[in-house]
Amino acid sequence: MLGNFIGVLFDGVAYGSLLFIISIGLSVTMGLMNFVNLAHGAFAMVGGYACVVVMTRLGVPFLASLPIAFVAAAAAGIVLERSLYRRLYRATHLDQVLFSIGLVFMSIAATTYFFGPQQQPVQLPEFLRGQVHVLGLDLGTYRLFLIAVVIIITVALTWLIERTRFGAEIRASVDNQQASAGLGINVYRVFSLTFALGSGLAGLGGGLGIDVLGLDPTFPLKYMVYFLLVVAVGGAGTIKGPLFAALILGIFDVAGKYYVPQVGAFVIYVAMVVLLIVFPHGLAGRRT
Amino acid sequence: MPELLRADGITAGYGDSIILEDIALNLAAGESLALLGRNGVGKTTLLLTLMGLARLRQGRIVFNGEEITQLPTHRRAHAGLGWVPQERFMFPSLTVEEHLSVVARPGGPWNLGRIYKMFPRLEERRRNLGNQLSGGEQQMLAIARALMTNPRLLLLDEPMEGLAPIIVQELMKVIGQIVRAGEFAVIVVEQHARLALELTQQTIVLDRGRVVHRCTSEELLRDRSTLDRLVSVA
Ligand SMILES: Nc1ncnc2c1ncn2[C@@H]1O[C@H](COP(=O)(O)OP(=O)(O)O)[C@@H](O)[C@H]1O
Ligand SMILES: [Mg+2]
Repeated sequence: MLGNFIGVLFDGVAYGSLLFIISIGLSVTMGLMNFVNLAHGAFAMVGGYACVVVMTRLGVPFLASLPIAFVAAAAAGIVLERSLYRRLYRATHLDQVLFSIGLVFMSIAATTYFFGPQQQPVQLPEFLRGQVHVLGLDLGTYRLFLIAVVIIITVALTWLIERTRFGAEIRASVDNQQASAGLGINVYRVFSLTFALGSGLAGLGGGLGIDVLGLDPTFPLKYMVYFLLVVAVGGAGTIKGPLFAALILGIFDVAGKYYVPQVGAFVIYVAMVVLLIVFPHGLAGRRT
Repeated sequence: MPELLRADGITAGYGDSIILEDIALNLAAGESLALLGRNGVGKTTLLLTLMGLARLRQGRIVFNGEEITQLPTHRRAHAGLGWVPQERFMFPSLTVEEHLSVVARPGGPWNLGRIYKMFPRLEERRRNLGNQLSGGEQQMLAIARALMTNPRLLLLDEPMEGLAPIIVQELMKVIGQIVRAGEFAVIVVEQHARLALELTQQTIVLDRGRVVHRCTSEELLRDRSTLDRLVSVA
């Protein structure tokens, strides 16, 4: 019973960790650029397919395919930011939503055309499969690996945002674009790089997530609500908020599906409503 | 002195509204200019136009030998315009020290050490966030932040606004030092006209978006009745 509970908690944390990696970029772009990007999941999908392609066609090992997923999604992010997204920064939220949902459908159609509608397989290396025995509990090795990756990314990201000049430029631009530009910060460049970073992390999450979330052309649509929930509950423009939100949502989702399977998928929505009533600005939202 | 700023036939505003009409402005390197006029006549708009933050309809701006009329805002800052906005625009998520380091452009006389010597208060508060400062400290930081870009022209938009008299005195001492040192040119917008006139060499007065008077600051300081007519003296 207790073992079960801890197992569910563990799975929930691992699942939430994945949601966090994928969503953190969305949180930053929504906080920084005030842009509602429903197509964020498409960048995760780019990363996922990049992993699959280099593994199955080029024989690249799984761990080495992850940085490739990051780079592929970041590159897609830069190209789309420069060519399309930039034009809509000053557009209304409705325009942004319509534009980005259009991108979602285009990404679904394009992926189906090139790769077919089926689920993509991922071959995890031997050392990431199976279970490890910790304190009398059986914990999935891959899930432990996911949690470790998220810890590393959170530390690195916090260092980047809190300790480097680029991080200070991001924070200044989020706080006040006009003042930042007026003092010599190239806000456009900050936007592009941040967008690329967020897309890259989504791509990394897409690659890491194949084994847990699956990967097929409908991925961006299937998980869109989860990414938006993380940002809505966590608050845009911070790291801590989305991290806690992703973990809470991950745990509630896994626990809901395990303990009350009849209403399983519904549990996270209840969690979201409660959290938003208690924290209307998000868990760590910026007060504007 | 070589010419630093030349703005000709500036017509500018926001969106569809035109606030400034046919303004001309000249400044030599190291020269100081008071920009006076009643509330709402367009002083801030003129500074924003120089920074590329208002909508320029007509005219051209040449700064330090380079035409900057079409330059994006951050490139104007790189070219040497040091902006101290009227609203101060602190960054709530940056510490005092980060305010200074994030905009720092080395290659000039200003660095953290010199700033802290000039504003010891900022050094005491270096770990505080931008929104945890008093009004006077915010203004010091806004000025210090602009200095860290090593400007050729400092744009001071009502630096004394809303400050207690004792803080005004303290701040005036420092501003007086840096302006009179002549390391860079200065445009000062100020409601306290006398303060601005005492600081500066030249003066222009705006009314409803047009230049209505040009003279040396000394002249206007002596001519009390003209000063009263042009600007309601605080
Ligand atoms: N962002 C803006 N959009 C539209 N009108 C503005 C804006 N800012 C200022 N104005 C208008 O421009 C005029 C000049 O304002 P401003 O330049 O701030 O005057 P001053 O600095 O001399 O007090 C005012 O009538 C003001 O209402
Ligand atoms: Mg003003």
